[in-house]
Amino acid sequence: MRQPVSRHYTEEELLMHFLHEETPNTAGEISSHLLECGECDAILKDYTDVVRRIQAWSIPDLADDAWRAQKAAVLAQFRQEQGIGKSRGLISVVLKSLQSTWSYALEHPLPTLGYVAIAITFAMEQTISTFRLDRILPGASEVFEILKQIL
Amino acid sequence: MIAPQPDEDLVTRILGGEEDAFSQLYDRHRQRVYSTVYRIIQDAGEAQDATQEVFVKLYRSLSDWNPSRAKFSTWLYRLAANHAIDCWRVRRRRLELPPSSASEWEVLGERPIGNGSASPLGMLEGKEVVERIRRCVEDLPDLQKKVFLLRYFQDLKLEEIADMEDCSLGTVKTSLFRATRTMRRALRRTGGPR
Repeated sequence: MRQPVSRHYTEEELLMHFLHEETPNTAGEISSHLLECGECDAILKDYTDVVRRIQAWSIPDLADDAWRAQKAAVLAQFRQEQGIGKSRGLISVVLKSLQSTWSYALEHPLPTLGYVAIAITFAMEQTISTFRLDRILPGASEVFEILKQIL
Repeated sequence: MIAPQPDEDLVTRILGGEEDAFSQLYDRHRQRVYSTVYRIIQDAGEAQDATQEVFVKLYRSLSDWNPSRAKFSTWLYRLAANHAIDCWRVRRRRLELPPSSASEWEVLGERPIGNGSASPLGMLEGKEVVERIRRCVEDLPDLQKKVFLLRYFQDLKLEEIADMEDCSLGTVKTSLFRATRTMRRALRRTGGPR
């Protein structure tokens, strides 16, 4: 559908036309309109000049030394993050295995209690024989014996 | 001559822990990241720090980048613009000052990026224009600022920006138009555009 000549385009439409951001089917219509309408053409030229001036905005570049120092710092950070990433990976493996152990315990409470009892007994015997706990804590061996009987 | 590796390949290598790939990606994009950040923060020293932070952030969030949603460069420049806006807010609160009146690269004797005016008259006019633009950019709302910088200085398409910003193309178009209209009015006050 062709736009009537009397219809002026909005400034937004003209700017989008200049930037090639208009809707595809309006590009041709706007181009034709601009050939006939001096008013819209003047607005478009005005915006063209504005955009040209905006894009001429230059900024200070960094000195080569500054870029080099920044790159060194960025790469050092990268190496550090890599190290953290690896230890995070290890922690997540440990957590994952703990989580699956916990799920097993919830699903099979009786066998789990048995395993825990064996583990505690083993640990106590090891502790007492290895470190002679009864010398540090008088009476520890008696407590240990009682616990052994209970378990 | 060996063709440069696409960003996508470098990203894959970085995720595999290759420092060399990260170094290449840094060299490729540092200038444009810095220029985006600088135009928002408008302070050379702080823009330098912010650029470094952008690359650290980039590494940390690299696995979040979705190639089917945006080009790597689009994603990176948006990340840079967002970070710069955050830094600029902090800076503004800290300083509570109007923008400086002198163009910093002249004060610091640094070389400009992009095309500068050659003649003394052109330089004077250019300085005034830049000053107007700088002030206007500072006062633009966040979305307008982002769209303005990404479209005019990083050549991103408005559709790409809309996708990244999760807003409609119409909103992005209107934002760009309003920002440009603000600039137009400001430049008119300085005697241009002619």
